[in-house]
Amino acid sequence: MRPRLEIIDTTLIERIVDEALTVLETTGILVDYEPAFDRLTAAGLPGNAETHRVRFPRDVVERALATAPSGFTLHDRDGEPFARLEDDRVHFVPASSALRILDRATGEVREASSADFVEYAKVADRLQNIAYLSTAFIPKDVPPDIADGWRLYLALASSKKPVVSGAFTAHGVPRMAQMMGLFRHDLEELAEKPMAIFTCCPNTPLRWAEDAAQNLIDCAEAAIPVEIVPVMLLGMISPATPVGALVLHTVEVLSGLTVAQLIRPGTPVLFGGAPASFHMRLMTNPMTAVEALHVYCSYAQIAKHLKLPCQAYMGLSDSKFNDPQAGAESGIGMFLAALAGFNSISGPGMLDYVNCFSLEKLVFDDELAAHAHRYIRPVEVKEDLPTAALFDELLAENHLLTAEHTLEHWPEELYLPGPMVDRTNWDQWAFQGRKDHRTRANEMINELLDDYDVPPLDEALDAEIRHLFASTCDDPDVVLPEA
Amino acid sequence: MADYALMNQKLFEGDDATVRQLTEEALAEGRQAMEVLEEGLIAGMRVVGEDFKYNRIFVPEVLLAARAMKAGMAVLQPLLTASAADTSAGTIVMGTVKGDLHDIGKNLVGMMAEGAGFKVVDLGTNTSDDDFIAAVREHGADILGMSALLTTTMVYMKTVVDAMTAADLSHVSICIGGAPISQDFADEIGAHGYAADAGSAVQLFKRLVGDRVRA
Ligand code: B12
Repeated sequence: MRPRLEIIDTTLIERIVDEALTVLETTGILVDYEPAFDRLTAAGLPGNAETHRVRFPRDVVERALATAPSGFTLHDRDGEPFARLEDDRVHFVPASSALRILDRATGEVREASSADFVEYAKVADRLQNIAYLSTAFIPKDVPPDIADGWRLYLALASSKKPVVSGAFTAHGVPRMAQMMGLFRHDLEELAEKPMAIFTCCPNTPLRWAEDAAQNLIDCAEAAIPVEIVPVMLLGMISPATPVGALVLHTVEVLSGLTVAQLIRPGTPVLFGGAPASFHMRLMTNPMTAVEALHVYCSYAQIAKHLKLPCQAYMGLSDSKFNDPQAGAESGIGMFLAALAGFNSISGPGMLDYVNCFSLEKLVFDDELAAHAHRYIRPVEVKEDLPTAALFDELLAENHLLTAEHTLEHWPEELYLPGPMVDRTNWDQWAFQGRKDHRTRANEMINELLDDYDVPPLDEALDAEIRHLFASTCDDPDVVLPEA
Repeated sequence: MADYALMNQKLFEGDDATVRQLTEEALAEGRQAMEVLEEGLIAGMRVVGEDFKYNRIFVPEVLLAARAMKAGMAVLQPLLTASAADTSAGTIVMGTVKGDLHDIGKNLVGMMAEGAGFKVVDLGTNTSDDDFIAAVREHGADILGMSALLTTTMVYMKTVVDAMTAADLSHVSICIGGAPISQDFADEIGAHGYAADAGSAVQLFKRLVGDRVRA
């Protein structure tokens, strides 16, 4: 049996889904963008041309749920199958799109450059428990209109692994799709072998705004897998209580899923989310709040009930630095997410309300991810029931260190953490140089960077991509940084 | 007798119906609108502001009190002379900049500013420099407030600052905010103020309007 977390029972899940279907059919969603509104009504959804509210009849949503795949395979940049997102298969991924980074040398928060991004991508590529990459933060040394695609290019140039990404403007997706298409024979092959998941965020409550609506349609057209990520703020733009929040969340995800399926049936859609609490005094939006964690783990159950792959912003921290709060929030989030069976968990490396990315945190979180993966392994009988023979040996020898059973099982059973979890005793620690976590993290990062050997992009392909950016950038004289 | 202590209390409790009624009663009794505003409403909101600052009440209570304040103001507004209405606070034109659809923070700033007695003209999201300028002119704004949450849209604030100067509106104070914004960035693009949250945004607005009155 796989250890699994359940927060709500099946009856409640069914009631929430039923209510969501009713809201979709009666209240509907505001599609705040003429072309998207036209597109959806042309596809058969009833819409009010004046209010731009689109209703989603129950049978249409149910048909969409039937064509949405229960899983899909992410491929690497070379087109090899890389990760299967389905059932309870868990993957940890760096969280996305921070505004700033925590400089590992100075400990100061600052803006990031393309060089920082390349360093991040190399480290993330090497980490064993970080399944694939994300466009974790925004380099500020390129013009803003190409920044979204540029970071995807930097990721693909530094690592073969798939990437979680997304666009920043209404017209961001086509250029990014075109770039990914250059890694395949054509866009159809890209559709068969996707190398990225794109984030699309409804504008809670019950609204798809211009950028996201267009991004969603463009992604579906290119069959780019999308994660629909509503950001509730409990008590602010969502009911404060979990069940009401879950209905709102489910309505928004299913609206996005239905749009994607209407545009291109079979487009992979992750039931995603980043529900946060709303701090009634500070007006901040903690995603690590205990009540938000309830919403996260419950919607994983709803996703599984609907046979959809799922994604969450968990394992991040709202702390500013890599302090005890960061460790606790990240560890709790990652364990809960793994137990809930999230397929793609965006969190590692992130601090400060999804605003700040830290490489030191990423290597620490890689270790937490290893722990979480370990924890969800089934507990099984392994030649230890009945116990008579084993206990006889234990009593005879007073230890089992050299027992056949131990020799056979300990390497699989007893997990030895890497340097980010310190298991030395005091004297060992002192003897080894009294290293604090930052020192150990930086040693590890430097080793990973030395170890890095991902083949660079084919020169012609690289030139073609750079030309794509140079020729489509608003600034015709743009000078692009080195990758 | 107009019971301003009761009015302050009802405002504090967010009881808009009673605040409206007490305002009407005070006027019926022959009290001056300006006096009712000062002693009934503004004095009550001052306590709300203080209590919020010192963590004795929370955002919902502040907004409820602001709503009650508005209910009383609606009764008083027609009776206040233009200049009296002006000295009570000021007019803020507010919006999220072009390309950006984040509005939660901006809305909170707007609500809190209204609660403090400002007139807030909300232009919504995705606002262009032309729209900002047109609204600032139309409403004779004292302050232009801009919000941006994306590193890719914050640069547009500079476009608006420059356009405001070009449009001869340098006398209007420009305030900016949002997660990627900092005081340094405000200084760099020539904005007059930055605030990190809605509470300090209101302090900032008050200070800037105060400076303008003194200047
Ligand atoms: C909620 C949210 C959303 C919601 C917005 C809903 C809405 N109606 O606003 C949704 C889900 C729609 C969304 C969409 C997107 N988002 Co968003 N979003 C957030 C999030 C998590 C919280 C923002 C928030 O509301 N905070 C709570 C409020 C109360 O705080 P606040 O906004 O900071 O406001 C306070 C102060 O800043 C200040 N203030 C604000 N405005 C003003 C104005 C003045 C004049 C003053 C004085 C003060 C002031 O006072 C406020 C109250 O205290 C942030 C991360 C973060 N923590 O900031 C990401 C974030 C800003 N989003 C991000 C991204 C990438 C996006 C998308 C591009 C994602 C996508 N691919 O679809 C789209 C963008 C669409 C667009 N073109 O705008 C990134 C930005 C990355 C970057 N480097 O620029 C962030 C940092 C998250 C992340 N790491 O991915 N988002």
